[in-house]
Amino acid sequence: MKNNVFRELRVMSCLALSCLAIVTVALAGCGGSDAPQFQLNMVAIADAQVPAAQQQELANVLEAMYGTPDEPFVLGDSHLDIKLVRVAAGPVRSDQFGRETGLYRRHCGHCHGTTGDGQGPTAMLLNPYPRDYRQGKFKFKSTERAAKPTEYDLERIVREGVPGTAMPSFELLPDTQIKALVEYVKYLSMRGQTEIDVINAISALGEDEQLDTSRAVLVDEILVPLAESWTTASEKIVQPDKPTAEPNSEEKLASIAKGRELFYGTAANCVKCHGPSALGDGQTNDYDDWTKPLVEMAQRLKDQQKSLNENPDIPAAERNQQEAQIAFAHEVLTNDALPPKNAIPRNLRQGVYRGGRRPVDIYRRISAGINGVPMPGVGPATPGAQGTLKPEEIWNLVDYVMSLPYEPASRPPRQDQLRFSQTQQY
Amino acid sequence: MGKFWSLLFLLVPILGVACFAVAPWYKIWLPSDVSEHGHMIDHLFYFILWLTAVVFVITEVALFWFMWRYDGKGQYRTAKFMHGSHSLEIVWTIIPSAVLLFIAIYQMNAWADSKIRNPAAGPDGIFGTADDMPPTLEITARQFEWRLRYPGLQAKGKLGGDDDIFVVNDLHLPVNEEILLDLKSSDVLHSFFLPNMRVKQDAVPGMKIPVWFRATEVGTWDIVCAELCGWGHYKMKGRVTIESREDFDKWLEEKYRDQTATQDTQPVGQGDSE
Repeated sequence: MKNNVFRELRVMSCLALSCLAIVTVALAGCGGSDAPQFQLNMVAIADAQVPAAQQQELANVLEAMYGTPDEPFVLGDSHLDIKLVRVAAGPVRSDQFGRETGLYRRHCGHCHGTTGDGQGPTAMLLNPYPRDYRQGKFKFKSTERAAKPTEYDLERIVREGVPGTAMPSFELLPDTQIKALVEYVKYLSMRGQTEIDVINAISALGEDEQLDTSRAVLVDEILVPLAESWTTASEKIVQPDKPTAEPNSEEKLASIAKGRELFYGTAANCVKCHGPSALGDGQTNDYDDWTKPLVEMAQRLKDQQKSLNENPDIPAAERNQQEAQIAFAHEVLTNDALPPKNAIPRNLRQGVYRGGRRPVDIYRRISAGINGVPMPGVGPATPGAQGTLKPEEIWNLVDYVMSLPYEPASRPPRQDQLRFSQTQQY
Repeated sequence: MGKFWSLLFLLVPILGVACFAVAPWYKIWLPSDVSEHGHMIDHLFYFILWLTAVVFVITEVALFWFMWRYDGKGQYRTAKFMHGSHSLEIVWTIIPSAVLLFIAIYQMNAWADSKIRNPAAGPDGIFGTADDMPPTLEITARQFEWRLRYPGLQAKGKLGGDDDIFVVNDLHLPVNEEILLDLKSSDVLHSFFLPNMRVKQDAVPGMKIPVWFRATEVGTWDIVCAELCGWGHYKMKGRVTIESREDFDKWLEEKYRDQTATQDTQPVGQGDSE
């Protein structure tokens, strides 16, 4: 009898122990991680060869100007709305009224990264890679090539997603949440650009000079012009003045034919990259502005290593220093950057338009070009200036490009192919 | 203490049944049904639920009874070894087989109505042509969103023209009309799930799968992905709005106008968020 009770107790204590073990493992898996930190732009740091002491100074400056991911802060001169930034920042939470915060980490961070460097945990799996905001360059927008996007542009991207890439649509989020996310993207972008500006300021310093962290430099010289480029973006919208021809009209067909001429012509020279069949199979070995520095840096390191190997009479001290530099830069390229990929021109026959499929969107892509990638603009660089093509010629190209998905790829007539092969220059 | 384990196991059927009994109070029961064929699906669901419930309770009570009755304490008879009972085995093979066979036949009509009698295939379901009923729209599942393509306004229901209307995640459909959609996937397996319409269909890369139903109520409901499709599966949520034909046409026209814009008006006051 007594034995029995003991046996049952033993069984029960075994059960209790295994439950405890499971709970312990589960809890250990949850807690204990540190608060996320903004990462320094190591590629820019390695490029500018910023010494370790000044890296700390850079981090301090950025924290003083922008706070941390959990406690963001903005200066009044940034014209950012701290209330919106706070809704998007911080850990994923909701209060007793169901108001959600931490939106960026919930929806965006796993691709675009806590720092907005486009290097979140899932970024590596994507093609194309997610946008790195820190250069302040955005591709699909309504403004002139080098200008910042308007808030409405960013909002459209968040709402519609970017077809043909991994960026999904967030159409169903409430308006205020989308506004908050847009503000946070601006915040991360301004922070990243400020970082690059400060790194440039550090690399311009002389031997014994210290970084001037006064308001006059950090705010007046760096932040104010940056904030202005954002607040004045809406003055730089490319707005076509003349609507295109009506669909299915004679005029439209004529416009498409003219667009075709321009596509293969030397002025616009679309054929150079998009290829003679517009399948995006022209020049495909170029890089975008986010990747080019990485490729150039890798090449520079190779050259440096080569010259080290070829010159045995370099003093040991200098050799060691150079080798340490190369090793550091190599480490940065492996750990703080994704493997480079080429910028591939769009296949125009798929009918997938990353920046929107409205004719006005395509007009803007052709007129202003696409910032950060080899796609040049053929419209006026500033309003009122003379562009490579006239507005109606840009409309012709828009009409032709938008007719391409409905035309069999085998149709480019033989004479076009021949003419192209006679005139191609690259 | 001797009967402790048998009583503990008696809790299984009691709590199991109690969960189902209180679920509707906590609103964790089936979502509201706003489709024409949904009652058939629900009927099959309830039929199988009751069938399994009865078997479950009987089995659990029998298990309890054996544990209670033949508790080791106070039993000093030696156990008798029995090699098996041929007739018992036949009984417990035939009864479930008969039940399964019955369900298989009983559900045939519901299955055919929702998966085989394609409205595009004409009234006899076989000899019609696809022209009998053009699809209302094409849905392409993609990591991690639903891309929708409606036929253009001039295209008379034909997809693939240059005036197709493209929408993402925000599905609108007319009420009380037969809806036929072509379901595609551009990357991996997804599953198009309208809980309130009792519609669930896998989207398979390389296949165009027809899905049809008829919604009976005006309102807004969820679209979810019911097949784990990658790390962003949880964000693959859409919204279906069922509305009157007039509202639907108006919405479609608005989308078309928006998509063919040759100029746009951006909201003024950009960048002056202070």
